[in-house]
Amino acid sequence: MRSLLIRIFLSFWLMIVVTIIVAAAMGSYYAERARAAIETFEVSEAMLDASASLQRDGRDGLTDWLESLPGVTQSLIYVLDRHGRDLLARPLPRPVKIAVNRFGGARSQRQPARRDFGNLRPARPFTELVGPDGHVYTLFVLPPKGVVGRWLADRGRASLFVLALIVSAVVSYLLARAISTPIRRLRESATSIAGGDFSTRVTERIGKRRDEIGLLGRDFDRMAGELQRAAERQTELTRNVSHELRSPLARLRVALELARRRAGELPELEKMDRETERLDDLIGQILEFSRFNAEVREQRSRLDLGDAVASIVEDVRYEYTSGKHSVEVGLQIDDSYTVYVYPSALNASVENVLRNAAQHGQAGGKIEVRVFADGPDALVSVCDDGGGVAESELPQLFEPFYRASNLRDHETGKGSGLGLAIAARATVLNGGSITATNQARGLCVMIRIPLVRM
Amino acid sequence: MTPMHGMPPESEMSAEILIIDDDRELGDMLREFLAPDHFRVSTAGSGEAGLESLEGGRFDLLILDVMLPGMSGIDVLKRVRQRSDMPVIMLTARGDDVDRILGLEFGADDYLAKPFNPRELLARIKAILRRARPAPAEAGRRLAAGPVEMDLRSRQVSAGGTAIRLTGTEFELLRCLLSAPGEVVSRDELCREALGRRLLPYDRSIDTHVSNLRRKLENAGVDKPSIQSQRGVGYRLVGGD
Repeated sequence: MRSLLIRIFLSFWLMIVVTIIVAAAMGSYYAERARAAIETFEVSEAMLDASASLQRDGRDGLTDWLESLPGVTQSLIYVLDRHGRDLLARPLPRPVKIAVNRFGGARSQRQPARRDFGNLRPARPFTELVGPDGHVYTLFVLPPKGVVGRWLADRGRASLFVLALIVSAVVSYLLARAISTPIRRLRESATSIAGGDFSTRVTERIGKRRDEIGLLGRDFDRMAGELQRAAERQTELTRNVSHELRSPLARLRVALELARRRAGELPELEKMDRETERLDDLIGQILEFSRFNAEVREQRSRLDLGDAVASIVEDVRYEYTSGKHSVEVGLQIDDSYTVYVYPSALNASVENVLRNAAQHGQAGGKIEVRVFADGPDALVSVCDDGGGVAESELPQLFEPFYRASNLRDHETGKGSGLGLAIAARATVLNGGSITATNQARGLCVMIRIPLVRM
Repeated sequence: MTPMHGMPPESEMSAEILIIDDDRELGDMLREFLAPDHFRVSTAGSGEAGLESLEGGRFDLLILDVMLPGMSGIDVLKRVRQRSDMPVIMLTARGDDVDRILGLEFGADDYLAKPFNPRELLARIKAILRRARPAPAEAGRRLAAGPVEMDLRSRQVSAGGTAIRLTGTEFELLRCLLSAPGEVVSRDELCREALGRRLLPYDRSIDTHVSNLRRKLENAGVDKPSIQSQRGVGYRLVGGD
């Protein structure tokens, strides 16, 4: 039972059903006892009067006695003649009919009992009076019941049980929902915060409740607010740091150029220039990495995944067409797939994975890119021919500054070690996931992004 | 290297450049760096001061840092574009696509990520200024397609007699497309013609300029000719007959 709704619903319902059954059992136990008491009463009190009236005036006397009873008592007492008809010609209620059938009714009818008890004479739930003329009259006393009780006794027991089941099911369901719905909303909000949307608040969704759930919601919102502020502070800090680092770098590069003019071309100056550029790349990547962690300044939009990947592939082809490390990129797009993403995050994830493949693939080798669908997700797979990495290192590939040990381009210092980490962050921000596997030729990285349902 | 005396040769150009950047030291170094190429550099430390300088003097080119204290670079750009089509190069933080795209959308001609290679900055300044001066052979020629007319000498564009204000980059883009109506012009060629440089990887600036140009044509009531995108290749002008 995974859902809280079902769990609460079933436990409450089960509890109520058990209560109903126990209550019903106890009810019938007390009803039996009450009936026994009434039977005792029958003989002792009313029976003597009835017997006397019959003795004195025959059938008419008995009828008069019955008519003289007060209303409520009268409605509980039935006197049947030998034809099985009530003296006041009232229709017979169910319990009386049942007793007549079961015990054969008035004895004078000489009819055999429906059920053969052999030599057993069970105590009968009615009294028999013998008139002066020898006719036997049967006197029934019904247990006193209200209207509901009588209706129940007649035909209601099963329907009441069904009714109780339905009502208790509805009440249990509503109660379970009242508890589980706000929790589900809380969970949705928590999910969207985990996904990087710190502006989510629960109070507006579960209403201003005063109970524990309402308090939980308010605490949740306070926490979300704190997270949001922390994220903003972090972004602000990163931006400032990056700005403060870039200003001296910018001056350094101009100063280098001025020095070159004065001193002419020196290998040391060339080296300083390259190192400055590398430092700048690194700052840029750190900034990008923290940006996809904290804040996104753009709107999500629907776009075609194949189109987006195609234009990035084109860029990478362009970047790696010439020079020592040229790489071919093959692209296969199975179909048109619409995704709902932050465009810059999508670009960053695909671009970084592709560049990683280009850097780690063989010079003059080929990278295979494919865009296809798998269930509810669209996938971009990027496979290189660089021989892959050790299986044990696969899970760490997406950690910042992680470098696989068998990379051939160690000494060239290519890449900052942040590329795949940026790709992973950016993919998660778009609600997707990223995985890496070793294939025959090299490493395959899969970017998985949920498709927009049409 | 500098000419011995008198006027510089025709291939060289001189220009007044304004740099708006709160890093005054950088501005001073750039002044020194650009001086041998006959670029006279003025600097302003804030957006407000920069706008004031623009009121006072004539500048051929503006170099504008996006990250300014107080009034942001984007706001300065908006104000500049309200009254002038002068070439603008934005300096953006690298990796910050949003600033870059915003800058181009609000009419910057080109951008450079900071810290830039100063030689790259010099190359871009030259490219943009060269572009802003029509080649003598082309002067006096007119190009037209549908209701759109372009005067290459006065650098005016109109649609059905109404003038359309274009930035220098947008003008060059339209000129390229008008010169070869119906043909696909590659993004790289558009970039070289309009920005005076090769297309760089991950460079979407041409696409932003094209969409700005499209919007301006649409706002002027021009539905034909229209600029059609050819995925992965370039753009072409269609319906200009």
